Amino acid sequence: MVTVLGGQTTDVAPGVPAVGDGPTSPGTGGSGPGRTRALHGVTGLLRWVVRTLLVVVPVFLFATFVTFVLGAVSDLSPAGVVLGDAATPEQVAEVEARFGLDKPVVVQYLDWLGGLLHGDLGQSWFNGISVSEQIGQRLEVSGSVAGLALIIGVVGGVTLGLLAALTRGSWIDRSITVVCTFIATIPPFVMAMALIVVFCVAIPLLPSAGYVSPTVDVGRWLACIILPALALSADVVADIARQLRTGLVSAYQENYVTGALVRGLSPRRILFKHVLRNGSGPAITTLGLRIPALIGGAVVTESIFAMPGYGRFAAEGALRGDVPVVQGALVVAIVLVLAFNLVINAMLVRLRPVAGRGI
Amino acid sequence: MIRAVWQLRLGRICIVVLTLIALLGILGPMLAPYGPNDQDVAVMLQGPSAAHWLGTDDLGRDVLSRLLAGSTLSLVAALEAVGIGLVLGVLPGLLSMVFGRIFEWVSLRVMDALITLPFMVFAVAMTALLGNGLHQAMFAVGLLVAPAFYRITRAAAMTVIGSSFVEAARLTGLSELAVIRRHVWPKVAPAIAVTTASMLGTGLVVVSSLTFLGIGIVPPEPTWGGMMATDLNFLYQKPWGPLVPAALIIITVAALSGLADALRDATGQSGRSLISARRAKQARAKAARNAGGPVAPAGRPDDRSTVDA
Repeated sequence: MVTVLGGQTTDVAPGVPAVGDGPTSPGTGGSGPGRTRALHGVTGLLRWVVRTLLVVVPVFLFATFVTFVLGAVSDLSPAGVVLGDAATPEQVAEVEARFGLDKPVVVQYLDWLGGLLHGDLGQSWFNGISVSEQIGQRLEVSGSVAGLALIIGVVGGVTLGLLAALTRGSWIDRSITVVCTFIATIPPFVMAMALIVVFCVAIPLLPSAGYVSPTVDVGRWLACIILPALALSADVVADIARQLRTGLVSAYQENYVTGALVRGLSPRRILFKHVLRNGSGPAITTLGLRIPALIGGAVVTESIFAMPGYGRFAAEGALRGDVPVVQGALVVAIVLVLAFNLVINAMLVRLRPVAGRGI
Repeated sequence: MIRAVWQLRLGRICIVVLTLIALLGILGPMLAPYGPNDQDVAVMLQGPSAAHWLGTDDLGRDVLSRLLAGSTLSLVAALEAVGIGLVLGVLPGLLSMVFGRIFEWVSLRVMDALITLPFMVFAVAMTALLGNGLHQAMFAVGLLVAPAFYRITRAAAMTVIGSSFVEAARLTGLSELAVIRRHVWPKVAPAIAVTTASMLGTGLVVVSSLTFLGIGIVPPEPTWGGMMATDLNFLYQKPWGPLVPAALIIITVAALSGLADALRDATGQSGRSLISARRAKQARAKAARNAGGPVAPAGRPDDRSTVDA
């Protein structure tokens, strides 16, 4: 997935050594020669990483603690799941002791946090299997879908957004805007059902449910993940296209573009070195904001397409009252979101050094 | 504010549509020709007919009646979530400007933590931990939309709170609360109105997604999302089944995002101050000439940039 993001930066990257282009491009910031600027970039990035960690670690601790306390105050217990209604108090106490629930909440939390550092998320109350193992097995499914959705979202969004910005004012631009506005209002699960109706019921092209690992059959793997990925990415395509169009159009109205035009720079050079660099910020921020939705969307799409993925695991665990499973799923989601936020922020800082000042 | 929105064509359309949908939510259960849970096994999975305008589902329940009964629950749930988000976001947002550094820092960190939580996973987890009910789910959703309100409130308040007229007001002995009510609130309210409209759309989508998964409702109770979940199982027999609930959800969400746009235009937050419909038209034509097409609508980064500007 990261390579995809990298692929997008290469579009923008030519702007980085553009210091020589002079004062017309405000995005390039500092005025010194290239080397000191690069050095500034490195220490700046380091400082930024430290500061980001200072934000991320408390956030992580806070979020996990809240989920843990919620789990503790809820009257859910593994005894109810394992033993059913006809349990004696001794049996209940025995089961709760086995899961460590007889200790104080804070001790439980620290135990759990310690296990987390070793990649251990505890055991499912329902079947006693390690949660991290189960999530690990399922991440391939969710990763395939979310990865493909991210590729479709970025490629589709950037293509449509660029096309709209380059043909601004024309019917192409207007129809792209209208279509994207419409798509953005469709919830992913509605989109998923529409796709099933079109591609599975009306034209029986693709399977409507299930998952095949790419190690078994790549073709069937793609056939299985393409519809869920499309359903998940529709929103992302629409959002990125609209934000990119707005950003690029307003960048095109800046004085430095007129300046560049006057100096006789080619339209392509203006687009890549000036407009994209300054106008793509909102689109990248949007992508960052969409990542939680992509990860969370797995809960819905996997249920619709009957895929044995991480999201369905979380939803089923929730409906069964399996607290360790729910907590584990939440932790994995938080870690993924934080990791992607770091990547997105790093891209923004690289694009516009100003963005590094306020996280 | 409402009059200014009404002057815009987009605003007028959206207000009319939303009023109709609200009426559907209020009067729906009374208009329904059958009970939402009445089963009639003789007419399972039928198409539209004179007796059942939108057909029947797998248990022979009248789809139209269920849809009407379900609209109340879906809409009220979305309102509840946004209401909770409004209180949990706006209040800390305003107080963080008043209560000094420590409160500000803590509230900022809490909001940062909330924004990293993925909507669906968190809502699912909350209902698992707090018990499977719509109120629990809506509390979770409200908690998650709170950061949007918090940020928008702070961003809007920030532009006023440092200005010299506020300082002058303080110097004349106006209390902090009075300053907020008299000077900060008028500046913050339009921004909050825009966010409320767009968050209601988000809330409705999340509510329908959750009820679609069967989270937050007890089965026979009808909701738009829950009905689509039933339809999913019978797509091969009734591929047009989800059409009407889906259309209702999409129309409501579209109208809400349109309303957010109209509010933004009418309150001058999109950089265009449009007072009369004629001037709106002129400006739109001008914008279309300059930039091409209508300005892209809601989106969180947009919200922030418009307020920052």
